Parts: sequence; structure tokens; C-alpha cells
Amino acid sequence: MINISHLSYSFGKKEILSDISMSIEEGSFHAILGANGCGKTTLLRCISNLLPVDKGQITIDNRNVQEYGARMLARKIALVPQRPAFDLEFSAFETVLMGRNPYQRHLQNESQQDWDIVEQCMKQTNTWHLRLAMPSQMSGGELQRVMIARALAQKTPILLLDEPTSSLDIEHQLEIMRLLKTINAEEGKTILIVVHDLNLALRYCPNTILLHNKKIFFQGPTSVALSPQNVKEAFHVDTRIIDNHIIVE
Amino acid sequence: MKNNRRHTLIVCSIMGLLTLLTMALCSGIGIVRFDIHSLTESPIFWNLRLPRVVLSVIVGASLSVCGVTYQSVFRNPLTDPYVLGISSGASLGAAIAILLGLEAHLWGVGGMALATALLTIVLIFKIAGIGNRMHITTLLLTGVCLTFLITAVISLLMALHHDKMESIIFWTMGSFAAASWLDVWILLPIAIIGIVIAIYHSRDLNLLLTGSETAQSLGVEVEKVRRRLLFFTTLMVAFCVSACGVIGFVGLVVPHCVRIVCGNDNRRLVPYSIFVGAIFLLLCDTAARTLIPPNELPVGSLTSLIGAPMFIYLLYKSKRKI
Repeated sequence: MINISHLSYSFGKKEILSDISMSIEEGSFHAILGANGCGKTTLLRCISNLLPVDKGQITIDNRNVQEYGARMLARKIALVPQRPAFDLEFSAFETVLMGRNPYQRHLQNESQQDWDIVEQCMKQTNTWHLRLAMPSQMSGGELQRVMIARALAQKTPILLLDEPTSSLDIEHQLEIMRLLKTINAEEGKTILIVVHDLNLALRYCPNTILLHNKKIFFQGPTSVALSPQNVKEAFHVDTRIIDNHIIVE
Repeated sequence: MKNNRRHTLIVCSIMGLLTLLTMALCSGIGIVRFDIHSLTESPIFWNLRLPRVVLSVIVGASLSVCGVTYQSVFRNPLTDPYVLGISSGASLGAAIAILLGLEAHLWGVGGMALATALLTIVLIFKIAGIGNRMHITTLLLTGVCLTFLITAVISLLMALHHDKMESIIFWTMGSFAAASWLDVWILLPIAIIGIVIAIYHSRDLNLLLTGSETAQSLGVEVEKVRRRLLFFTTLMVAFCVSACGVIGFVGLVVPHCVRIVCGNDNRRLVPYSIFVGAIFLLLCDTAARTLIPPNELPVGSLTSLIGAPMFIYLLYKSKRKI
């Protein structure tokens, strides 16, 4: 589904990603892990063509992401950004409705189908009761779920999430991860998620891409990826695995 | 909550009728009074008052649409062509064109105004832009400073060319006193093109408000759309300024009032602002020419009298965000 070959990306002279190659199967659920500043966000932004790559190439369904055009790419990839914007001037419902934009022509009204999809996505993310709320009236977790609902409304085969759980309490973290797992299992969506909590990844994401030193350190099953040796190498922390839980020494 | 295009069209037709009614009333008011019979023959009515009324309607509509567009493109409710210094930029071009003797050429003043206005936009992006983002304070400060700079340059030009002082002052103050049918015929097609493009992109304007990266990932060709919108709005500003000089704050006051009533959805905001802007500037100009007869007030100072306090109020309200 997603193929990346020899991708390098630099901000100015500082290289963030160096010669990355990998392929991601359709319907897989990957966690992207790695220390701060190791290029996790940059990788997601390259895949969604927000940062046009100059070295190497990224293809989705055998087509370069730069050839898609914003509209067609938005029907392939939905991205939930890192920081939910609190200063938006639109209600939750209007925000989620924006996810239908890639399917609407200019000057066209929303169709009944658009309304139904928005309602379904908001119910799925448990935000339907918030539909009239403005961003300033919502908590961080509620806003994050609205952002996920918007991404779901795009009805894309691929969903990229950049630390969707970072501003949430433990209950909502689990709720989001469960939701993603269901979506992955039932709709067969390919999901790539940047997380910081190793245990969340271990519990919910079957596969992991571990980034270290601008490169892919490991790609494979999460339980193998997060072995004490790998964690020690990537995060400089000693850990043990007890009962399928990573315990920091 | 549902965006109903039919609803929008009905409201627009009512507002359109209201605009025509206001135009009819305002063209009847004035120092020279007409009765119905002499109306059709009076050259004062046909060649002075009517073009003035029509021009103020076109300029009001154009500047309001420019304001709405800038507010989405720059993601800031405090921006309008005047606050950003783009109107002043256009007036510099107009002043240079007059000094070069291009006044007589149909497109001379407007073309020069367009060139300097576009230059101003490029400068704003260079000075205030940090990558794709723009800090609200830096943006406003840049606009104010560019206005200072341009005003200084224009004063210098005036000091060096005493003979053309009168006509340059006209451009910096803003007035419809010299309105003619020629102005109307030049401005009308430009205003129509610009407004149609803004309406065409009204949903993109909503998405741009959420940030350029989000808009891009939701399927908007951000760079292309933003360039197109900025070019055509600046075209409108440049030709408005070359027709009637700098009239401030219209693009700030009108969209804000519409926002209070109908919310932030640009699919309603853009079309409603056309009519509210048209009526607003028409009433301002009518007041400017009738309040203290036989003298005439500069209409730019009237709109600033309303707009500047509103700007301060908005700034005060958004203080927490800054």
C-alpha cells in the first residue's frame, strides 16, 4: 500500500530522516515509536505530502504522492495533526463536515450522504453530543476526538495520527486506541500512529516502526520491536517485560 | 446549521433589492434637488450623482469581499486591505503614476497601483511570515509600519512636486467626488471577476481558516488557491484605490458586522458582505456629501471614524489570543 524508498529529508542543513526504505501492507496497524526529535512527525508529514520530499520517493498504490494533487490525496490519506487547534471559529459539526471537502465540488451543497457520514463518524468517536460546541468550549480530549472524526469522515483507506493520545487522560487514551483498533479490524483501514507510551503500543498496535538516528531501527511485530535491547538502544532506558508490560527499571 | 444554498440565495436577493432601494434613495438626496420630471434630463444627476452612487456601491462591495478574503487567508479577523497597508501601497503606485504623467491613460494609474500593492503583499509575507505561519502581532505591526513608510514616501513626493499636490492628496484621503462613468466601467468588470472568484473559493476560505497544513490535508491546493485569491483581491484593491483613493476599514467593519449575525461560514459571509458593504459605503458617502453643505467631508475619514474604534474593540477582545 505505502512504499517508501530511500527517503531523506532535511530542514535546511539539518538532516531529519536519512535513507529510509520501508513498505506498509494494506490493513496493517503500525505504531511509530522513537525518541523526541527522531523524525516521527516529519515522516508522517512526508507521507501526506505536507513536506514534499526531494530525495527518494513515497508511493501509495504504486503512485507517487506528489503526483496525486491535494484533492485526490485527501481521498487516500487522512491526517490527525499533533496539536488540536483551539482557536477555530467553527462548531464541532462544521469541523467534521470539512472532512467531506475532498468529495465536494466548488459551490456544491453537502449531500444527504455527507450528513449521514458525518453523523456516523461523530457517533463512532462519541462526539455527536458535542456537535454544536465551539472548540473553546471543549476539552483537549473532546477536541482530539473531533479531529479523529473529521479524519474518519474523509473515508480514506489510510489514517495517519500524530500523537493523538498525548493530551488525553488514561480513560480517553484507551478509548481512542480501542476505537482505532476497531476501525482497523472492521473497516480494514491502514493505520499509522505516532505514540509515546510504549505500553499503549504494545497493547494495541500489532506492528511497530522504531526510528532511531534518522533511520528505521526496526520494523516488525511490536513485542519484538520493544525488546529490552531495542528500547535500550533507541531510548537509552533499561526495561523489563513482565506479563506483556514494559516496566522501566 | 445546514448550509442551505437556497436560503443564501433568498437572503441575497432581498439584500440586492435593499441595495437598489438605498441607491435610489441616496441618488435623490443632495444639495441640488430634483423633481421627477427634471430628473431624466439633468446632467448633474446623470453625470455626477449617479456614477458616484454606483461607484461607491462597487467599491464598498469590493473592499468588503477583500476584507473577508484577507481575514481567511491571513487567519486573522483584524486584517483588511487598509490595516495591512495594501491600500497605502496601491496609493503609492497611483501617486507615482500621476507624477509620471500617466493620469490620462486608462490603465496607467490602476496598473501602477496594482504593481505597488502586490509588492506590499510580497513584503508582508517576507517580513511577517515564518514558514507557513504568521504571528498576528507581527502581521499587524508590519502593516502599520509599511503604511508609515509609504505615507512618508508619498509626503516626500508631494513636497518635491508641488504642482501635483492636490491630486495626490485626493488619493491619500479617499473621496468619490471625482467619480465618473469611466471609473465605473473600468472597476465593474474587475469587481465582478474578483467577487466571483472569492465566492467560488468560499469553502476553501473556510478550510484556510483552519490552517494551511490542515487545509492541504483536506484537499485544498493551498499555495495555488492562496496566490489566486491574493492576486485578485489585490487587483480589486488597486483599482478601487485608483478610482477613489484610500478608504479605510470598510473591509474590517462590514465582515465583522455580518459575522455577528450569520457566523463565520464564508459561504454566507462572502455573499452577504457584498451587499452590506455596498450599502455601508453608499450611506457613508451620502453622509459625506450632505452632512455639512456645501462642504464635503472626506469619506475615508468617516469610515475610519467608525472603523478605528471597532478595530480597537476587536483588538481588545482578542487580547487573550495575542
